[in-house]
Amino acid sequence: MITLTNLSKIFRTELIETHALREVNLQVNEGEFAALTGPSGSGKSTLLNILGTLENFDSGDYLLDGKSVKGLSDAALSKLRNEKIGFIFQSFNLIKDFSIYDNIELPLRYRGLNASARKQRIEQALELVGLHARRDYLPGQLSGGQQQRVAIARAIAGQPRILLADEPTGNLDSLMARQVMELLEQINQQGCTILMVTHDPDQARRAGRNIQIIDGQLHDSTLYEPLAAHSA
Amino acid sequence: MEQFVYYLKVSFKGIKRAPLPYALTIFILSVGLGVFFANATFYYQLNSDPLPHKSDKLFFPMALMAPYECNDCKPPRVLSYSNVEKLSQTDIPSKAAAMYSADGYLRQTAEQAPLPVSIRVTQRDFFSMFEVPVLHGSIWPDNSARREVILTKASAEKLFGRTDVVGETLLLDERDVTVSAVLDNWQMLPRLYDANNRNHLSEADDIYLPLETGYDMNYLSNSQSQTFDDTDYRQLSTQGRSGALHQLQYWVQLDTAQQQQAYQQFMANLVQDEKAAGRHPSAPNNQLIAMRNIVNYFGGESSDIKAFALVTLLFLLVCLFNASHLSLNRYLSNQYEFSLRRALGANRAQLQLQMLADVVLMAVFTIAGALLTGYIGIKIMNQLLPGNRLFSSWDLPLLLSLLAIAFVCSYLVTLYPSLRASFGSLNQQLKE
Repeated sequence: MITLTNLSKIFRTELIETHALREVNLQVNEGEFAALTGPSGSGKSTLLNILGTLENFDSGDYLLDGKSVKGLSDAALSKLRNEKIGFIFQSFNLIKDFSIYDNIELPLRYRGLNASARKQRIEQALELVGLHARRDYLPGQLSGGQQQRVAIARAIAGQPRILLADEPTGNLDSLMARQVMELLEQINQQGCTILMVTHDPDQARRAGRNIQIIDGQLHDSTLYEPLAAHSA
Repeated sequence: MEQFVYYLKVSFKGIKRAPLPYALTIFILSVGLGVFFANATFYYQLNSDPLPHKSDKLFFPMALMAPYECNDCKPPRVLSYSNVEKLSQTDIPSKAAAMYSADGYLRQTAEQAPLPVSIRVTQRDFFSMFEVPVLHGSIWPDNSARREVILTKASAEKLFGRTDVVGETLLLDERDVTVSAVLDNWQMLPRLYDANNRNHLSEADDIYLPLETGYDMNYLSNSQSQTFDDTDYRQLSTQGRSGALHQLQYWVQLDTAQQQQAYQQFMANLVQDEKAAGRHPSAPNNQLIAMRNIVNYFGGESSDIKAFALVTLLFLLVCLFNASHLSLNRYLSNQYEFSLRRALGANRAQLQLQMLADVVLMAVFTIAGALLTGYIGIKIMNQLLPGNRLFSSWDLPLLLSLLAIAFVCSYLVTLYPSLRASFGSLNQQLKE
């Protein structure tokens, strides 16, 4: 599903060049739940952003469903993000003066779905994250964990093939973090591929696969036992 | 449409987030546009063509016929009675009318207080040439002298309290005259038939008197100008038309290019005859000026309004620049939201539609503010330049043009900031 071949990314300033990613080769199959781990500044978030087409890369190639994203126009990249990729950010990135419903509706609006189709998907997503009763709340009226669940609902409402989560539990306490992880596992079980940046070894272990990045290089790609066996 | 209504709602939310900078942007834009509107109104009205379908068919002929050597002389802006007679001795024009303006006093009976009136002393074709509407009665059947006046609707109402007064008698400077017609509401602005005396910015006359009757009653022209004719200001016209000092305007209607060419040839032949008779030793210098060019020819454009136009245009540019700067700050502070929308799948075209909704909202507020400012500006200009008071009205084409300008300005103010906000590194902006 995702194939990276010799992918490199360099951040340049007037004085220095920083190699954020060096010759990364990676294959992620459909339905996988992979954790991206590594020390701070190792390039995990950069890799996630490149996978989400929020960032360009300098060399190598990135194939999504067998098609290269290299050289795609802004409109094509927007369509790809809208239809195939869902984002979960560490700081939730909800629009503060939009209701929960309106926040979740945002990507669906840009897909051109009609009002009834949008409503159906939003309600399904709200049902899944358990916030149906709070659809008219503003983000500020919810706890951090609830806000992250709204962000997850927004990400999955478009029924994406891939979910990219950048430290989704980074701003949450352990109880809420566990709830969010359970939700992600539930989504993964429904067939959605998930790549999640995390610093938490336990969370990495809960994912089926751990992709470790150190100094912009892929060092280890550990496959764990299936989640169900691990939980038992 | 549903999506655009959504964009409008998003724009409203954007305003509610930072109402003060938004209000300031609208205020600056409204002031700039309002001042521009006020001046544009005068400029538009002063330069408007009151008879656009006809202004290239009505001509003001001027022939240089000076009785002495005068090679650098321009033809005079006014004609003597004898010159008009010479220029009338042809049937080339479809219509022709000579005229001048005078002042007098009018009343119904000797017991009443006299009403000062401005009189246009003219000929019958004046009314059809300049499309003057008649409410009651009929225009004089020919150009011969008759003690008959034509009143404007306002004059009839002022004198009689009604308009149907055809056949009534009046005292014009203590001489009996009969009302032969009453005109309907009519205000030719600018009054281009009177541009040679620079009276084209003033109101139309109160009553109309046949030219020959005006001479018979010894009404003198109330406008100052030059003439090369041998005239004597002390001579009354009843002592002979040709010697009296009357500053006549003369208009001819030449409907076709052939008529215009033929009339020019007629004028050339006329001057040639004068030259042959020894009455015009100078080189010929004839002019046949179309009504639409007459103000320009006489240099009658208002320099005050021109100067204001330049100043207000510069002021508008400064306001646009400032409003754009404020708008840029507002958009950059909202850049995070732009980036989030892009990350969630909005393409730049969709973001530009969002911008269009912003423009529509801004244009609505700006237009309201600009019209208010423009209205106040016009009131102030009417105080400063009362001579232009008649030209301070808004008509539909003007209003539509002003609305279009306001929309374009709102678009310009929003374009660059929104483009700036929709470019740049998504990842970086989402972290900020």
